[in-house]
Amino acid sequence: MIKLANEQLERYSRQIILSQVGGKGQKKILSSKVLIIGTGGLGSPAAMYLAAAGVGHIGLVDYDTVDLSNLQRQIIHQTCDVGRAKIESGRETINALNPDVQVHTYDEQVTAANIRDIIGDLDYDFIIDGTDNFPAKFLINDACVLMRKPFSHAGIIRFQGQTITYVPGESPCYRCVFNEPPPKDAVPTCRQAGVLGVMGGVIGTIQATEALKYILGVGELLTGYLLTYDALTMTFRKIRVPHNRRCKICGEQPTITELVDYEQPTCDFKR
Amino acid sequence: MVIKVNGENLNLEKSLNIAELLMAVKAAQPEYVTVQLNGEFVERDDFPKVFVNDGDEIEFLYFMGGGQRD
Amino acid sequence: MNADEFLDITDVVCPMTFVKTKVVLEDLDDGQILELRLNDGEPIQNLPRSLKDDGHKILELANNDDGTFTILVEKGGLT
Repeated sequence: MIKLANEQLERYSRQIILSQVGGKGQKKILSSKVLIIGTGGLGSPAAMYLAAAGVGHIGLVDYDTVDLSNLQRQIIHQTCDVGRAKIESGRETINALNPDVQVHTYDEQVTAANIRDIIGDLDYDFIIDGTDNFPAKFLINDACVLMRKPFSHAGIIRFQGQTITYVPGESPCYRCVFNEPPPKDAVPTCRQAGVLGVMGGVIGTIQATEALKYILGVGELLTGYLLTYDALTMTFRKIRVPHNRRCKICGEQPTITELVDYEQPTCDFKR
Repeated sequence: MVIKVNGENLNLEKSLNIAELLMAVKAAQPEYVTVQLNGEFVERDDFPKVFVNDGDEIEFLYFMGGGQRD
Repeated sequence: MNADEFLDITDVVCPMTFVKTKVVLEDLDDGQILELRLNDGEPIQNLPRSLKDDGHKILELANNDDGTFTILVEKGGLT
């Protein structure tokens, strides 16, 4: 097991003194591996706070490049990064923030063909869904259910956000609540409807909080709860959601036993 | 009767079924909303058949995908 | 009384005094004794209370009359 150097005791002092953390908890965090799929509005703050906390291995999955319109909320990237691969920009920010963290980058879009390999690459302990489209969200859910991996799902739009945590065998999955992906363009995206940048900050940081609590084994996770946030009314609601017996992947008679891509990836000119 | 929808009280003159309730509250994209009645999921096919009663608690859960992928 | 472990934290300031002590105590077994040398001022004012809050028992506290104090702590002595 790791021995904490003096500099690490100093760096992490503010969380080591917490009774739920201590040196033991800090060592758990330093040994942990978290995969963040999507380094955008949600993935940015999640990655930064996990790096700050000392998560030893952070995987970043993103095939996109930084666009000027990203900078309003994707705070892991800066103006000088416009045009660069997001995973490179993300890696640099994390390295500068905390050299204790090893960043593993995956210059890909998650698909049914590659997601098991990506998750299995380091056998990640916890996965954060920071993606921005429903096919990916359902794919991540399905992969985590089939591979028995805990993960945090989240989404943001306008002045709202929501998140739910899945722990294998203990809680409903995303599909229990939202049975299948909506048709393409049926639900507005941030590009169409807009999003206040901070929404990613609040919800993405909650996702990182869930990851840390899982790693430390403390507190109550959002398993079986959909947390919704309305920034205009400043209301958080924790809605109890049951396991769905009819869920197609984790229900009593699952019909989904393999991973599927729900639509062809769109031709992305930015690439 | 008084029911709760997403945590807020709603007065109803008469009982409505779920499909009617979604219209009454002007739910966005009712065809993609997940509905819970007193904590249990209601199947979409049952929306016209399930009626609310006094004191019922309904949750309308919406897709939220974020993002900018077109 | 013989201590099982000794830690000098006169070279650091709060909260590092508590951090270093906490981490050393984690590696001891319940009932084992840690001898601490710490500075007058913030450390002696804060540390005993923090240790008690964590469930450890202060067995002895002595002023060394050189600007430092010595504390004997029993791990988990209060739990």
